[in-house]
Amino acid sequence: MEALRHAFDFSDQRRLDLVIAGLLALVMLIFPLLPVSAFALATMIQFFIFSLYGMGWNTIGGYGGQVDLGKAQYVGIGAYTTAVLLIRWDIPFWFSMPVGVLLAVTWSFIIGYPLFRLKGHYFAIATIATSLVLKDIFEVWDFLGAARGLEISPIKYRPPDFLRLIFREDIYYYYVIFMFFLVGILYLNWFRKSRLGYQLRAIKDNEDMARSLGINVHWSKIKTYAIATAYVSVVGSFHACYIKVIEPEDTMSLDISILIALMAMLGGAGSLWGPIIGAGILIPLKSYLKEWLGGMAGLAGIDLILYAVIIMVISAKEPRGVWGIVERVRRRKQT
Amino acid sequence: MALLEVDNLVKDFGGLRANHKISFRLAPDELLGLIGPNGAGKTTLFNCIAGKYPVTSGRIVFDGDDITPLNAHEVARRGIARTFQVYTAAGDLTVRENVMVGCFMRTPSRRAAREQADAILADLNLSAAASSFVSELPVAAQKKVTMATALGTRPKLLLLDEVAAGLNPGEIEDIMASIRHIHHQMGVAVILIEHVMELVMRTSDRLIVLDSGRKIAEGLPADIARNEQVIKAYLGERYVQGHGRERS
Repeated sequence: MEALRHAFDFSDQRRLDLVIAGLLALVMLIFPLLPVSAFALATMIQFFIFSLYGMGWNTIGGYGGQVDLGKAQYVGIGAYTTAVLLIRWDIPFWFSMPVGVLLAVTWSFIIGYPLFRLKGHYFAIATIATSLVLKDIFEVWDFLGAARGLEISPIKYRPPDFLRLIFREDIYYYYVIFMFFLVGILYLNWFRKSRLGYQLRAIKDNEDMARSLGINVHWSKIKTYAIATAYVSVVGSFHACYIKVIEPEDTMSLDISILIALMAMLGGAGSLWGPIIGAGILIPLKSYLKEWLGGMAGLAGIDLILYAVIIMVISAKEPRGVWGIVERVRRRKQT
Repeated sequence: MALLEVDNLVKDFGGLRANHKISFRLAPDELLGLIGPNGAGKTTLFNCIAGKYPVTSGRIVFDGDDITPLNAHEVARRGIARTFQVYTAAGDLTVRENVMVGCFMRTPSRRAAREQADAILADLNLSAAASSFVSELPVAAQKKVTMATALGTRPKLLLLDEVAAGLNPGEIEDIMASIRHIHHQMGVAVILIEHVMELVMRTSDRLIVLDSGRKIAEGLPADIARNEQVIKAYLGERYVQGHGRERS
């Protein structure tokens, strides 16, 4: 009960921020009912997906300060679990999604245990490596369709199928992921004020100090990594039902991992709104750039250059991202 | 029964012996001062007791249990809290939140942690700063925040590593009062590493002197101040001339 109350308690946020957040939530709620293009709707769904990825990343990467560049492997585990269970045994989304979380979290414990013996850049590189290795395994694993991937054929089902999450129109997907989005925010709001949330912030600042306060640093990191993993895996499962065609190259590539980290880093790592702000900037930018440059051959990889520039600017100018700038400006106004 | 018993503790760093067969006992109601020149092995001794460093040989018994093989966080849970010489507290947490991190060791409840933190802050006269970020406070207050955070874990023994370093005389008085309060009112045993002689001599019940990793003296502050070996190794003639008259 207390946990639920804390999840809904935003009293430490500024009133202005809450008003803006409320208004935006209202716009999001009625967005599909407005005369918007299918492209805009699809972009919004991507925005929710990457906001959630970013929120997950934000727990371990933002509050915990452990730069994780291997989140795509958990997108893959979630997506493949849901796809395989649905295609082979007709197990619906709401059952396969928790199974995916279970598998992803188990995997996160297995690799998290040795991984968190590493620090800083070594940790980041190791996360990339594990993610790529898993992707390579999936690419040759026939059971998972190998490099061709898997396809969920909607013809077999009668959409709208709420149990299997098979819809013909994007508006259904929109509201499902919007619901996850709201739950994701509430969970993150609870998490940051929980015992683990506080302990993690102490760990980020100084591990020796954290240990002296009775915090099992290694275990706290592994636990948080599992929470981040659960976020990503849930959305991965959703992604499978939404996209319907999943292949290792698309779902588990390094680009995805970097993009996930970028959401929180650009918006503000270690802040509640950071991942949402980051996704709100990056996803439309990415979608429309792709649309705009789509015809021009040779410019296909330009978004990667964009990410590189963003990473460099953030690390040089404001490690706490857009939210860091907002807070800095506010503090200056106060004094 | 002794609260802490250190028995023939040896700590080597490669070829360097930082602690050489150190033994001492600490009573549950004692305030022990640990002094000695730079590099004498005082902080190393703290790090060994607190489980940050594994010891090379020897035994540390706390509250009747052998804690020698325990990790830092396990030692903390047994009831030994500490502060660090180089001041550290989480920068993006407020003073209250910092202390709450300490309190969270004993309770998972946010409300309980908050209440306990507020009580400790009130005890150390830090209530006014509760909502400030630690980095915004003067150094003296920051040091008190680290003490408050350590107290959040409700320790039986508190290891204070140079809390008075870099403070002015007024601030030293204030921190001395806090240490006495922690010791007498809160009933926490304290070991104090300190270079500010005023503070150690006036606050400690007993002193231990380290030099080059060895314990060279142990006794009441007044006796230590007259100990030839200690004067040679650490205190220097000037201190004795300055304070000898008023003590005798």
